[in-house]
Amino acid sequence: MLEFDGLVKAYGENRVLDGVGFTVAPGQMFGFCGSNGAGKTTTMRIAMGLARADAGQVRWQGTPLDEAARRRIGYMPEERGLYPKMKVVEQLVYFARLHGLTAGDAAAAAQHWTERLGLADKRDQRVEKLSLGNQQRVQLAAALVSRPEVLILDEPFSGLDPVGVDSLADALLEQCRRGVPVVFSSHQLDLVERLCDAVGILARGRIVASGTVDELRAAEAGRQLRVVVHDAPNGWAGAVPGVRVVSESRGDTVLELAPGTDDQAVLAAALRAGPVRHFAWREPTLVELFREAVSTQEVAA
Amino acid sequence: MSAFGQVRLVAGREMSTRVKDKGFIVSSVVIVLLVLGLMVFQLVSGSSTQTTTVGTVAGGAQVEQALVRSGEQVGTEVTVVELADEDAARQAVEDGDVEAVLVDGAGDAPRVVVESSADEAAAAIAETAVGALSVARQLGEQGVDLVAAPAISYSVLDPDDDGDTTAVLVALLGVVVLYGLLILFGQFVAQGVVEEKSSRVVEILLSTMKPWQLLTGKIIGLGLLGLAQLVTIAVIGVVGSLALDVVSVPSAVVPTVVSVVAWFVLGYTFYAAVFAVAASLVSRQEDLGSVLTPTTLLLVVGFIVSLQAAQDPGSTLATVTSFVPGLSPLVMPVRMAAGEAAVWEVAVAVLLMLVAIAVVVRIGGRVYSGALLRTGGKTKLREALAADRG
Repeated sequence: MLEFDGLVKAYGENRVLDGVGFTVAPGQMFGFCGSNGAGKTTTMRIAMGLARADAGQVRWQGTPLDEAARRRIGYMPEERGLYPKMKVVEQLVYFARLHGLTAGDAAAAAQHWTERLGLADKRDQRVEKLSLGNQQRVQLAAALVSRPEVLILDEPFSGLDPVGVDSLADALLEQCRRGVPVVFSSHQLDLVERLCDAVGILARGRIVASGTVDELRAAEAGRQLRVVVHDAPNGWAGAVPGVRVVSESRGDTVLELAPGTDDQAVLAAALRAGPVRHFAWREPTLVELFREAVSTQEVAA
Repeated sequence: MSAFGQVRLVAGREMSTRVKDKGFIVSSVVIVLLVLGLMVFQLVSGSSTQTTTVGTVAGGAQVEQALVRSGEQVGTEVTVVELADEDAARQAVEDGDVEAVLVDGAGDAPRVVVESSADEAAAAIAETAVGALSVARQLGEQGVDLVAAPAISYSVLDPDDDGDTTAVLVALLGVVVLYGLLILFGQFVAQGVVEEKSSRVVEILLSTMKPWQLLTGKIIGLGLLGLAQLVTIAVIGVVGSLALDVVSVPSAVVPTVVSVVAWFVLGYTFYAAVFAVAASLVSRQEDLGSVLTPTTLLLVVGFIVSLQAAQDPGSTLATVTSFVPGLSPLVMPVRMAAGEAAVWEVAVAVLLMLVAIAVVVRIGGRVYSGALLRTGGKTKLREALAADRG
């Protein structure tokens, strides 16, 4: 398990992290969301030893991360870090060796990852000569080349085109299947929803919601029902006890049911109003969950 | 992997990328060519002896001897060629085989054949020779026997002085090279630090090692390269100048060169650390100049003082500055070469330098690790010290 436990970090008066804690299981893909300045990057930098927490710790397999353990983590910093004038393959070999691979293993791994990420013909080019998309791939290769036990990636998808997103997603899923816990931060919530087994939402230095997307949905109070009744007159649902109409337009209604309200009574009322084309609980998207979680927090604060 | 393993990897990368750098290759070749050029220049300008060829007709050993001797008086080495007759003489002068021909030099009517009146030097030698021959002949006719002048023996009061002068000259040349290399490699270190900082590579590096390992690896890697370059220059310089006879006292040259190399190691370590730490405060290459200037000025001061010390190695300025860390690597080699520095003085200067290096590495290391991860503008020294991985 990769555990982030009670991380606190303040820069002067500004308390950036205020007890951030979450857990990532081996083979789990953990999406880390939050508004700008919520503290995602700081959390990851603490894990990588680039910033020191005022309190709390990050543990891998029960032991607080130290230098040796960090060499087994693949890390992709937010503002990419590559030597602009170094050739792709030399760079990858260097990073692999810094992470403890022997010269032979490092060369083989660099070979493998350049091939796997479609950089085979770019091996001997300097990084500064590559397109941004390709630089991003090299950055990913740099994180993967040391056969890491853990992956921590800060905004890995930013700046990628849809094809690039897919190939990066594939590469990450493959790592998960190997049993590697993957933590990544992203603003692209649809992507997080699609890829991640678990999600953590960070706002104002705290995790305001975490768990699987389904768990987050279940935790969401006030469940909504969407009912589409062909040519139904407005106001058909208003009479059902415990039902509040959220929106209504040409037979397409969103209803909020008070706890204990029988949804079958609603269905019966709908059938009386006309032919029912759609009747389902409305699943809030991660975007809605995120807005909800962040705004609750904001109000509380 | 051990702590030293990371340092070695960093050092290795610094060396291999720098060696492949075109700028570095060009500058190395230029420096070696400069050293070679300097020696050739020294050789050409140093050999003031000129040579000339003079022909004789009906001369003989006596005339030949007189010609050579009169040439010696004006610092010219004379080669004498015996020619058959006057026609042959004219031919030889016209062909340029000889510069002048002395006909019947020992006789009653000596004549000189030259191409034009411009060939004064050779003609003057011939004239002097004729004069000398005539005096000798007349003295001989009067029965005066010429006794060779007695050989003079010299009492040399300070036999080392010659060597010292050469040594100071060598030390001065060494200091010029040392100064150039300190500036060059200090810049390399500084640029490398900023490159890593501005490209954010430093975040990946520091997730696998401590700042001091990165700093040490960088300094060692580039230092070995600088040392290799200095030793190459030294070997070419020493071997070349001994082989070409530019200097004739190897005992004066070799110890001086060794001391310059040793002072390079101390000076480089000091300046590289200061440059690296200063560079860590900025995030862009453009800002590098402003933070490096104070240190560069110190180097320039050391260089100027060392030039002055070469003129007057015993001066108070030279003596004092040869102990000041940072200035000592440039001044002390000159004083040592001049034979002005006692062993204990050198020991104290080395010790002070080592202490300074320890202080720079210790405090600088903290600044470096504090500043390295702060980007955007210029980090203040105090902030960096306070941050130290904050």
